[in-house]
Amino acid sequence: MFAKEAYLGTDPVRAPGWPTLARDRAFDTAFVAALEAELAIAYRLAGYLLADSAEAQDAVQEASVRAWRGWANLRDRDRFHAWFSQILVNVCRTRLRQRSKRRTLDVDDIDLETGDPFRAALARDAIGRALSALSLELRMVVVLRYWGELSLAEIADRLRIPIGTVKSRHFAALRVLRRRIESVEGSSR
Amino acid sequence: MNDPEVDDGLDLEMDQRLATFARNSREPALPDAVAQLPWAVQLDRARSNPGRFRATMGGFGGFGRALFAFARLGVTLAVAGSFLLLVGQARTSGSGTDIVQPASSSRPSSGATSSIGPEVVLVPTSGVVDDVMADFVTGAIRQAESDGAAAVIIQLDTLGGSEDAMLRIDAALHSKTPTIVWVGPSGAKAASAGTFITLSANLAYMAPSTNIGAASPVAAGGGDIAATYGQTEADKIMNDAIATMRSIAQERHPDAVAWAVSTVQSAQSYTAQEALSAKAINGVATSIDDVLAQADGQTVTTTAGPVVVHTRGATIVTINEGLIQSLLHTLDDPNIAFILLVFGVLFVAVELFHPTLLMGLIGALCLALSFYGSGSLPLNVLGVILVVMGIGMLVLEPNIPSHGLLAVAGVGSFVVGAVAFYGSPGPYLPSVAVAWPIIGVMTAAAAAYGLLLVRTLMQMRRQPVPVGAGLVGIDKVAGLVGEVRADLAPVGTVYVGREEWSARTRDRSPLGRDTKVRVVGQEGLILIVERVD
Repeated sequence: MFAKEAYLGTDPVRAPGWPTLARDRAFDTAFVAALEAELAIAYRLAGYLLADSAEAQDAVQEASVRAWRGWANLRDRDRFHAWFSQILVNVCRTRLRQRSKRRTLDVDDIDLETGDPFRAALARDAIGRALSALSLELRMVVVLRYWGELSLAEIADRLRIPIGTVKSRHFAALRVLRRRIESVEGSSR
Repeated sequence: MNDPEVDDGLDLEMDQRLATFARNSREPALPDAVAQLPWAVQLDRARSNPGRFRATMGGFGGFGRALFAFARLGVTLAVAGSFLLLVGQARTSGSGTDIVQPASSSRPSSGATSSIGPEVVLVPTSGVVDDVMADFVTGAIRQAESDGAAAVIIQLDTLGGSEDAMLRIDAALHSKTPTIVWVGPSGAKAASAGTFITLSANLAYMAPSTNIGAASPVAAGGGDIAATYGQTEADKIMNDAIATMRSIAQERHPDAVAWAVSTVQSAQSYTAQEALSAKAINGVATSIDDVLAQADGQTVTTTAGPVVVHTRGATIVTINEGLIQSLLHTLDDPNIAFILLVFGVLFVAVELFHPTLLMGLIGALCLALSFYGSGSLPLNVLGVILVVMGIGMLVLEPNIPSHGLLAVAGVGSFVVGAVAFYGSPGPYLPSVAVAWPIIGVMTAAAAAYGLLLVRTLMQMRRQPVPVGAGLVGIDKVAGLVGEVRADLAPVGTVYVGREEWSARTRDRSPLGRDTKVRVVGQEGLILIVERVD
């Protein structure tokens, strides 16, 4: 992680292998500050939504690129947080949909020993493992609610759906999770 | 989470459990690549922005790709079309006197010819009456004229062909040299356009067991043509053909006119003997020698005036089609035109699913040749559409879930289309059909293509992509064993998972080249490895 003065200075990019032209560029420090504040929560959200750290990195990158392209047209920069999370949620939703279309391996099928931090974290508890039973829309609500720690109204804003829908999805998601956990615990007993 | 907005009846236990679990989730460290994004994305615009192209193409879905494929197909068709023009050009320019230079003529040693006796040029023809045949016959007759041959014999066996070609041959048969048409050998036919040609010659002979007249019985008034062109147009074509036939027959013998018109008007077919008794032909001849014997001493009216034919004991000079001519002439075989069309459509379909310029080029070429060939054939548009639709359905079957219905419909449409591929012969066109064995084989080929090839291609495209593959490779290489490529001192490179990575050991101790190492961790894009013994 970079110290505050690093990007205020002229040589913010210290990673090896970066093109030299990066050093000569004037960066938009306001954008850097705004985006940097979002990255940790964005990566966490994307990670639990996609259950894959590599894909989460890609998703955050894609969202960041879109944010940078829209940055000049963003009138109210105080809304950056909400705006960026909307972009990120959209990117993740698209990826999840494409994944089901592309017939990628299901999260369940993947060996949990591969060392992916998100899959490992989810695998620790029955309730985390049960998340894979949720449909895309239910899963989005659950992850935004508990890992994103958003209120139902905020979720409605990010997903651009009515709050009533968020409530019913939240309700349905918890019911599915309980059933899944009970059936798993029931069969193991 | 004690939200005031939470409904009553919500599973509060699950709610609590999830909240606790999420709060206690171990936070994965933010990867360097992500941490650098605020700067990295700003560089994106400075580079040529490769992401935008992908985004645009993705946004349009398959549309952009389809547009590209069609543009490509257009280019391919243009190339094939110009090739065809070139072939057509070659045919025209080759039809001069030189192509008629008997490439494989049985001409005896020159000089001896005139002393032995008269020379008769034999022009064997077969197949559909088309431009190629017209070129060939016209050239051969011109050659005979300039050589001063005693006569030209056109050996004929045809089911018919195009009106234009027939009229050209008709015109060529009126030359300074006496012209003879012999319908032979036994079993041969002079149907449709062939009838006109036979009767146009100065002398006409038929072998026993040959036929002359309409290709097939069509309803009086030309019901079949009426179905294609409409009644008024059909009447016009019919009246035109009758007028042509009447003038041709008038030149032969006034008694033959009514008979000749019946071959057109009521689509009658006659044997050699019937034609002879109607005075439509000069005789029944079993062989070329017989023709020469019978023709000898006859007086005919050529463009140079009345001539007595001297053919007894004549030397026969056979003129054969040139290579290009016989190849082009093969194209209007009804079966070959059909096969070319099917292969053309199949190859073009491959091009659409799996763009390689070559396939499209071959396909377009096949289509172009097929259309060239079917120019002298009574192509039934409905049949062609059914065949193409059938192939289309077979190709789409693997892509659209239809439980095999589409495949069955495709095969059905293909077979019906193949059977009805040709139809509505007019007064000149041959009555032909695609042979049943060919229909069987081509149906099997089209079905096999649609069901196997396209399915395989689609499966290749849909193969599951392992999550994270090729994105950030650490998932793939963790735990793998590789070897040091450049000394780790402390940072060097290792070769693992078919890739070179920067790497160091955990305690930064040096390792030499070729040491076996296992990946145990990652720091940014640098792998942490340990020695394997």
